Amino acid sequence: MINFKTKGFYYKLYTWFPIMFLFISVLNEFDFNYLNLRYFSFNFPFILIFYFTIKDVKNFDYSLVFLSGLVNDTVTGLPLGISSLSYILICIATSYIRNITIRPNPIKDWFYFLFVISLINSINYSVLTLFFSFDLILVSYLINTLFTFFFYIIFYSIFKYYMKGLND
Amino acid sequence: MASSRDDFIIAIRSAFLKKSTQQKFSLSTLILISLFTIILSNYDFKIIRYAKIGINEVVYRSSFIVSIPENFIKNTFLEINEYTTFFKKYKEDQNELNKLRSENISNEIIQNENRELKELINDYVSSSEMLLAKIIVDHDSPFLKSIIINKGSKDNVKIGTNIFDQSYLVGRVIEVNYRTSRVLLLSDLNSNVPVTIAPQNVQAIITGSGTDFAQIKYIKEGIFDEFTEQSIIYSSGTGAIFKSGIPIGRLKSSVNEDIKEYNVEFYSDFSQLKYVFADVGSKIEITKVEEKSNNSEVEDKTPLNAKLKILEDELRIIEDSNLKFQSENDFLKTKINELNINITILKNEITNQKKIINQIDIDKEELEFLRLNLLYSHKCQTRKLFSTGYKIGTPEYKKCILNKGKIDD
Repeated sequence: MINFKTKGFYYKLYTWFPIMFLFISVLNEFDFNYLNLRYFSFNFPFILIFYFTIKDVKNFDYSLVFLSGLVNDTVTGLPLGISSLSYILICIATSYIRNITIRPNPIKDWFYFLFVISLINSINYSVLTLFFSFDLILVSYLINTLFTFFFYIIFYSIFKYYMKGLND
Repeated sequence: MASSRDDFIIAIRSAFLKKSTQQKFSLSTLILISLFTIILSNYDFKIIRYAKIGINEVVYRSSFIVSIPENFIKNTFLEINEYTTFFKKYKEDQNELNKLRSENISNEIIQNENRELKELINDYVSSSEMLLAKIIVDHDSPFLKSIIINKGSKDNVKIGTNIFDQSYLVGRVIEVNYRTSRVLLLSDLNSNVPVTIAPQNVQAIITGSGTDFAQIKYIKEGIFDEFTEQSIIYSSGTGAIFKSGIPIGRLKSSVNEDIKEYNVEFYSDFSQLKYVFADVGSKIEITKVEEKSNNSEVEDKTPLNAKLKILEDELRIIEDSNLKFQSENDFLKTKINELNINITILKNEITNQKKIINQIDIDKEELEFLRLNLLYSHKCQTRKLFSTGYKIGTPEYKKCILNKGKIDD
């Protein structure tokens, strides 16, 4: 799709796209909440981090992922470090699956993603309610997890084009 | 079996510790930093607080700039929505405006009256100073309902400052930075507001539900039957976190599993907020009262002192009332003396007047006698021979004159 004749400035910029997009999404809370759909929310950074760390994309630095977590906590008003921990846990999960997988399969990744985000949201919910005494709606978390899971496969097909452009 | 376990351990260890050429830190280091950050953010050290304020300032501003394109799309979407219902809404607004104009006058009167009554019962009169603030971040998170405004400690915004949309309460400040603040909306699950439900005058607490409605809590069972759809919810001011008498919303009934429930529908649409007002006003008179009460609190720390103070106060009140009674008594005594003198004078006057009246009566009788004497003296006078009359000057003569000359045999 995209063909970089010379690996110059534009290629470098192209390689930085995922991390830039991650920062934009955490600063902007890219989630279509203004549509006022009651049972609709998804976690775009989870999809982005999971996809690009599983592919081990260049310039997708863990320290920057950690930093984006801090930014997300500041924007959403959560205690500092909660999102960073979640994002780094995704990175660990993807690093593990990358190590044990010989032939990657998108469907298997997809269901592994469901397991990972369920686990991370559970940890998130437990820490916030038990240690920080936050009142949270569990149903919202479940809906968020479900929609994030469904949206993964859509974004997977979009990101595939990006990866194709990067590898070409 | 053993080899698969070894593979798992190797994969896990690799995931945690192996650092590729691209990565600056291993994941285990970052996990530790995350946990350290969570623990540190829980403590309120000065350095952490300033670091947090610094991060907040930068992130909020960056978020505002990054959100511009999405906000543009969002606003366009909302504007298109608005245009579709434009005329209908215009007509409704016009009707409402007319209604509100008429209500506004009576509201002003009530406000003035309320102010006077508060002064009468020694309540505080707070001078409100409303500060217009722009919302720079309003990401409607499904978990937390909060907004960021562009006013901070520089503009005298403090933790707990009440935030309004027009005259409706929307929330309170929970985090203050130098030029920005975070406002916890009333719809958040962690928001609790003491309220009064009018006209039933029921005290309750409303809690955010994470939606456009709030739930009513801490009221007696059965009181729900008294509520109507027209019941208005306003802040009661209990606990001094929120100011009293600020409209919040109205009751809305819903049927859930054949049970009629009442929720609070907010007057303000939190998803449409662009500008809000922060109440940074100072409570002039309440401060005096508070200062006074604080001083007295220090003095009355021990229960014995407090008891003694009460007794001293009581004694002072009794002495004061005694003095008052004594002076009143003296005044009444002098008044009685004065009245007695007046009575004596009046009695004398009456005796004199009686005397005068008697004299007048005598004179009148004498005058009548003289008149009749001229007419009938020849009939009553005695003659020398064969006389039938009486000698002049005698009572019989007088009687005869008064009887107009008739002589009694």
